[in-house]
Amino acid sequence: MVTIVLRAIIIYLIVLLIFRIMGKRQIGQMQPFELVLTLIIADLATIPMAEVSVPVLHGIVPLFTLTILHFILTLISKSSTWFSKFISGKPVIVINPKGIDYKAIKMLNLSIDDILAALRNCGYFSIAQVQYAIMETNGKISVLPKAEFSPATNGDLETGAEDSFIPITLINEGKFMEENLKLAGVERSKLEEIIKSKGCKSYKDVLLFSVDQNGQAFLQCKKGEAQSFATSGVVQA
Amino acid sequence: MTKIFHYINFALIFLFLVGICILEEVIVSGSLKAVQNDVLAIEQVLQEKDALLDSEIIIMVDNLEYTWAKNESKMCYMVNHKSIQEIGVEIARLKGCIVIDNIDDFRISLEHLSLYCHSYLHFMGASIHNVL
Repeated sequence: MVTIVLRAIIIYLIVLLIFRIMGKRQIGQMQPFELVLTLIIADLATIPMAEVSVPVLHGIVPLFTLTILHFILTLISKSSTWFSKFISGKPVIVINPKGIDYKAIKMLNLSIDDILAALRNCGYFSIAQVQYAIMETNGKISVLPKAEFSPATNGDLETGAEDSFIPITLINEGKFMEENLKLAGVERSKLEEIIKSKGCKSYKDVLLFSVDQNGQAFLQCKKGEAQSFATSGVVQA
Repeated sequence: MTKIFHYINFALIFLFLVGICILEEVIVSGSLKAVQNDVLAIEQVLQEKDALLDSEIIIMVDNLEYTWAKNESKMCYMVNHKSIQEIGVEIARLKGCIVIDNIDDFRISLEHLSLYCHSYLHFMGASIHNVL
């Protein structure tokens, strides 16, 4: 049993390493060859994990071989459009201004129900709202709505809205985010003063403290309600 | 920088794979060839003998057992443990045959060992038959 536990740890770490090396794509965003690779890796990893008589190397060697193969395929795909199309396919327009492209749908082995479901996922409940729908190589559908159904943007409305920035987290579950403190140009002591003035005993009691580029802060203690306030230039993200 | 790190990762994995292939060739082939040589030597000596209760044969079988014991643990890293179990079983059978002086079964076991080493060495090599 100890052998199985140790083998499981070794193989888990190796599979984790392989996925880290291969990239961060989620299953829904995978190209066909990446999906195939993932399925094989999952299967290969379980063999030496459960079968004690099989050397761990019998699992590791094919896993690493597939990693190298994936690396080579990705390299070639990046440099050759033809190869990329051959391996991953190409996006197909399934709905155009004339309506549903039945030939394309048949070629992709899809039904009208599949298309309708994919459109609903994108927030369009009627084909009449759609100008173009494109089946991407990763199996997802991208939709371009007709002008009258596309949501109005700040640009369309000329609201003069400013660019928004991502707020910086300074304290996360009672821990200072040191890199973010440097980025915001604020010292711990100053931050602790603010926290105490807002009713939190210590930084350890803070659930979340973030600040945006205007110095507007969001603070929530572990016990208590969230507060939003201006740091009046003390903290600048 | 990240890209270089990425390439280094793949280069390391590639080197690891090459290293494993070389190591397999050295360890597994070396171990099996050592067993095969010992078996051939016993077979040659056996041609001149009528009985197994002979000090030369006993020493040679002990040598074979020693060679195998020395290499078995190394082979476990590379070869399915069930596959190499057979060699240990046949060596134990050889020793049993010496005790009861059964020369026919002794010869069969030697033949098994020889065939096993030969076929595994063949099976291990990269050939079109093995790949497909």
